[in-house]
Amino acid sequence: MKKYLVLLMTIGLLVVMAACTEGTAGGDDGTSSDGSGSDDGGEKDSLVIGFESDAATLIANNDVNYVTDTQIRNIYDPLIERDAQNGDLVPVLAEDWENVDELTWRLTLKEGVKFHNGADFNAESVKFSIDYILDEANNSAYRSRWVNVEEVIVLSDYEVEIKTSEPFPSLLDRITEDLLIMEPGYVEEVGTEQAAKEPIGTGAYQFVEWSRDNYLQLEAFEDHWRGEPSIKNLEFRYIPEFSSRMSAFLSGEIDLFKNIPVDSVEEIESSDNAKIEEVSSSRINYLTLNTFHDGPLQDVKVRQAINYAVDVDELLESVLNGYGTKMTGPLAEINSGYVETDDYGYDPDKAVELIEEAGYDPESMTLSLDTPNGRYPMDSHVAQGIAAQLSEIGIEVEVQVNEWGNHLERIQNREMGDMFILGWGPAFTPQSTIENLFTENAPYSSFHDPEIEERIHEVNTTFDDEERMEGYAELQHVLVEQAAWVPLWQQADLYAVRGDLNFNPRVDEKFQVHEMSWE
Amino acid sequence: MLDFIIKRFLQVIVVVFLALTVVFFLIRLAGDPTTLFLPPDAPREQIEEYRELLGYNRPLYVQYGDFVSSAVQGDFGESLRSQEDALGIVLSRLPATFQLAISALVLALLIAIPLGVLSAYKRNTVFDRIGVGLTVVGQAVPSFWLGLLLIFFFAAQLKVLPSGGGGTPVHMILPTLTLAAYSVARFTRFTRSAMLDVLRKDYIRTAKASGVPTMRLIMRYALRNSLIPIITLVALDLGVLLGGAVITEVVFSWPGVGRLLMQSLMNRDFPIVLAGVFIIALIYAIINFVADILYAYVNPQIRVK
Repeated sequence: MKKYLVLLMTIGLLVVMAACTEGTAGGDDGTSSDGSGSDDGGEKDSLVIGFESDAATLIANNDVNYVTDTQIRNIYDPLIERDAQNGDLVPVLAEDWENVDELTWRLTLKEGVKFHNGADFNAESVKFSIDYILDEANNSAYRSRWVNVEEVIVLSDYEVEIKTSEPFPSLLDRITEDLLIMEPGYVEEVGTEQAAKEPIGTGAYQFVEWSRDNYLQLEAFEDHWRGEPSIKNLEFRYIPEFSSRMSAFLSGEIDLFKNIPVDSVEEIESSDNAKIEEVSSSRINYLTLNTFHDGPLQDVKVRQAINYAVDVDELLESVLNGYGTKMTGPLAEINSGYVETDDYGYDPDKAVELIEEAGYDPESMTLSLDTPNGRYPMDSHVAQGIAAQLSEIGIEVEVQVNEWGNHLERIQNREMGDMFILGWGPAFTPQSTIENLFTENAPYSSFHDPEIEERIHEVNTTFDDEERMEGYAELQHVLVEQAAWVPLWQQADLYAVRGDLNFNPRVDEKFQVHEMSWE
Repeated sequence: MLDFIIKRFLQVIVVVFLALTVVFFLIRLAGDPTTLFLPPDAPREQIEEYRELLGYNRPLYVQYGDFVSSAVQGDFGESLRSQEDALGIVLSRLPATFQLAISALVLALLIAIPLGVLSAYKRNTVFDRIGVGLTVVGQAVPSFWLGLLLIFFFAAQLKVLPSGGGGTPVHMILPTLTLAAYSVARFTRFTRSAMLDVLRKDYIRTAKASGVPTMRLIMRYALRNSLIPIITLVALDLGVLLGGAVITEVVFSWPGVGRLLMQSLMNRDFPIVLAGVFIIALIYAIINFVADILYAYVNPQIRVK
């Protein structure tokens, strides 16, 4: 029997090890077990949000990833945020801001705001948080966006001045999209490593427990400056697989999750106590026409022809079931610099004519089209649809489906062929879209024209608001004339929502739970 | 015996080393991870700077040499995503994976051995047909599909069990069933054929003829002798369960090593992938090592070979 004894002892040891695991051992308070936010009886005060993956870290201002940012925005507050519906800048911890001169910004801060540990929010915490991004030792992914910031000067407890090395009109966007305020005293006391595991902020929710790859639990912060939020317990639960997320929602284990494929909308709408909420996102999807390499796409007529040959309305209707808002130019309507531009419309005859004028024969033209799979709504299906439409005028399109990391890397290494599908967002301001998409340095549209690029740089550094916006308007028309790409649509963000949850989806894709409540 | 142990132990080292080497070069074929960790608008200089900081701009053989020399000291570097010790992250997920693997293994043995014995003893009866039928189904059903099916019925429709996550013992039921299905099939088949072999032996006939009660005949004379080769099978399957729980862990959102590896591969968090492969290869090799030793201990002929 000795031989079995050894095996049994080994197994026994493993079982004991397993039983000691945090997060998998039984006997917790039950808030992480099923249905905590969805009980039918009694007053509901808990909410469980399903997420595809865990936050990388809980420290602010470090990881640029959407999943991290969206979760920690409930723990930390920004200085400025976007209006949930129109994307305008709205004061949060900053009450007011002004340009002193081209290189100086002054912000007045809100008084009487407390961190979760009782410390006061003040100008020092703003300086500390910006310095954290700038300090190379912290290896913040945001640093490249902030390099123009030279110094942060504390003028008084509630006044702070930001000096930049060159005119930096998009500083307010950086403050809005990137910056969250940390508690300097706490971070200095426990170190960044610990602060990344047990965060302290001024947000509506304070930290309770984080079980990696499992859940993040938060609770309402009583002394929050907006008042205590209506939902008392908040949990983000990590469910990597979509079908499992969907089942968890249908069984009532989670109350809310994002990115519903258009073909699952009906199933959710027809189930009990569930609804779909939709918002036209600031994220745009487009088809690029690569001009970095020699080939027919360097000819503006061929690019225009493809714009005529792609029927965006049909793709929206038949592939996306109507979920999306058609675009005609480089910017979406939600973008602060948007102007209406001409729509090419669908005209296959004109397309053939233009290609022939350019000296090519559409019947002997072969183009490649790269697409990610699952990154954007129905992306690979859209690619197939475009290929079919172009084949109608004789162009043969070879569709290549890429794993996302590979897709992105090929774009950045400029290894893409003729066309590819990509999304861009959040695209609220003309600069972040136009500069990052249509200059030689930025490969994301793979379109580049030296004259247009010069104009882009000129407009970007124009400090007068009105003059700058005029510049962006002119650029939009030029980019459409030049057929820099085929604009497709603003994505529709689709959320599965418990029927009695008051939830209005935000254009910036965030989950701000203090805005939500149970009916 | 000592010679044998030393030889087998050296094999463990070689296996782990080879596994790491193969994976090291294979994941580099996917490309380099820097682009996924910076904002898309990061300028090229910053991407280059980051690449240099992480050492991905050096020739591959230099990176490999560096990796090997750190890895032998147990240093697999920091996770690119969370900047924490990669090996530490993998080890923190290991108990969850063990928990699932062990419960699946125990469940599989509890079902498979009686089923296998019954099928063999009642050969060509309805019990045997059911047993064999189950094994065919169990081996044929992909765990991904089985998992989703179980979630659909027990979580989404009946709402009696949670669809996933770790938390209470209740959370273990569905993933354990899913993971055990394949092993049940394998063990049942193996037990059945081993039993059939033994039942044909002369000493069983002699025992039967001398009036040994049926229960005692099966448990003491037949089963004990057929169990010996099952040690190896159990060991092999434990390795498979530990390393192959990736799909089950993803489907059931189980916070174990398999899911961590899968996500890290998608994120190209190479230090975690390598630390994870190291741990899984090591476990697999050690389990086999222990099984070999046990086997040799039980059956001296093996040592001689």
